[in-house]
Amino acid sequence: MLNSVVSIIEKSIKKYGKKIAYIDNENSVSFDDLEVMTSKIASRIIQMGCFNCPILVLSKRNVYTPVAYLGIVKSGNYYVPIDSTLNENRINQIIGATKSAILLTNRELLGDIEKLNFVGNVLVIEDLIEARLEPLLINDMNKKMNPMMPLYTIFTSGSTGRPKGVITSHLALINYIDAVNEVLNLSEEDILGNQSPLDYIAAIRDIYLPLFTGATTVIIPKNEFAMASELAARIDKQGITVLCWSAAGLEMTYKSGLLEEIRSNNIKKVLFSGSILPGRVLEAWQTRFPTASFINQYGPTEATASCTYYVVKEKASANTVLPIGIPYSNYNILLINEDGTKTEDGSIGEICVSGLGVTLGYFGDKVLSDEYFIQNPLNDKYREIIYKTGDLGRYDEAGMLFFCGRKDRQVKHFGHRIELEEIELYGKKIEGVQECVAVYDNDKSILHFVYSGEVEKKDIILFFRNNVPSFMVPRSVEKIEEIPHLPNGKIDIKAVQKLVI
Amino acid sequence: MEKLLQILEDVRPDINFLVEEKLITDGILDSFDVITIVEELNKEFDIDIKPKYLTAENFNSIKNMTKLIDILSN
Repeated sequence: MLNSVVSIIEKSIKKYGKKIAYIDNENSVSFDDLEVMTSKIASRIIQMGCFNCPILVLSKRNVYTPVAYLGIVKSGNYYVPIDSTLNENRINQIIGATKSAILLTNRELLGDIEKLNFVGNVLVIEDLIEARLEPLLINDMNKKMNPMMPLYTIFTSGSTGRPKGVITSHLALINYIDAVNEVLNLSEEDILGNQSPLDYIAAIRDIYLPLFTGATTVIIPKNEFAMASELAARIDKQGITVLCWSAAGLEMTYKSGLLEEIRSNNIKKVLFSGSILPGRVLEAWQTRFPTASFINQYGPTEATASCTYYVVKEKASANTVLPIGIPYSNYNILLINEDGTKTEDGSIGEICVSGLGVTLGYFGDKVLSDEYFIQNPLNDKYREIIYKTGDLGRYDEAGMLFFCGRKDRQVKHFGHRIELEEIELYGKKIEGVQECVAVYDNDKSILHFVYSGEVEKKDIILFFRNNVPSFMVPRSVEKIEEIPHLPNGKIDIKAVQKLVI
Repeated sequence: MEKLLQILEDVRPDINFLVEEKLITDGILDSFDVITIVEELNKEFDIDIKPKYLTAENFNSIKNMTKLIDILSN
């Protein structure tokens, strides 16, 4: 068995050599380049004496970002990716949580880094890929790695108002990418069009599939997703064959008219996840690319991106409700009732995941990890950790799993997880806000923030812009005289919902 | 122009639309912003902004957006 992601990189380099692994609109990195660059980055970090430590990568959306991630991995450490467009306060929260001693960044971002609360060593990626290569150090490090070591920590919305870092092992990632590729079956001829921000969980497919299959990933400039004709030109020009996009990405681009603008017919495989894809959107994509296969995926970051999948067999229509399907290889799904008993066939229960894809828990937070990563209550024979997703599911008679909503107030907004409590916790911090409620309109994908008090709407939006990632900024901010309450004194969320949705 | 500025500022009060000239090229507006803005413009000015008009050039500045609205309203 391969002991780490590093062995996989080495294998693919031998096999694919000069082929392009990653390309953006300015540069490209071949598998050979990847070998040299990651080894140089790793050489420098190993010399600094870190092993099995979190290392921050605050970088731009380009080919050198995955190179930096993999260089860190080769050095025996794990990366914590941060998009350079994230606001200062949020970045400082991640710095505070990880207490990382090293941060990798792009030269042009050095000015921004100075403003942060980071006190460790700042290394410039552009310098590192030119650094001296120390083959002996790399070789020794390879022998020290094991598959249970962390590979990365990705931060996601937390209901306590602090982002939580999900730590994933080499093993979980290798298992997931293998399992996805059993379904996707990519070859070295395939070209993936990356949509996901590189610091987000969904990007792991675009980053790692090339290493497993020899395929190429095109890092599409972010602003092209706002401009249908430019995105279409990119898809045509690069000959993109595979899209692993968020369902929201497929929907947004469909709405912006992308399907009419794409001239070529190269797209063969479309894998989507993150939220429920409306039937009419799938129908439009199927009509435009009739020979392509469409795959619905489901799963949280805590289960290494996805744990179930469904290959669409039917022609979709407006009424289509897709199942989330069956588990990927080496994943196991259980439905469990509130009291820890097994859910009866056909009934709704909480979706729990076990198997190789379960991640290592939340960074530096044993209490939270113990709450969600628990002993399987149905197993009293041996230790078996399951992850409780908080999602509700139901099996149909054919054994297909269907998604049935959330247990708590987490929502999916354009493919991103948002805890509504987190929005409210931030709202309460704004001077002049008396009471506030966040509600989500699923049909229109609008995050509403409703408040009472003496403060301008504009100041509220500004506060969110400065403190949370842009996808978490409410798109509708409404002031009302008084927030309605239930007889027990709690805020009447349903009544607020009725007011704005 | 005033109406347009109002729409833009409602979506992104943190941006000075009177000075920015690379709203799209520099990634100041993201795709969520653009979708919201396009929907509002279609509604407010009774126009239909087709995909072929969704280019960085047309949305990079308030001046260019005004031009686009003028073209589409006639």
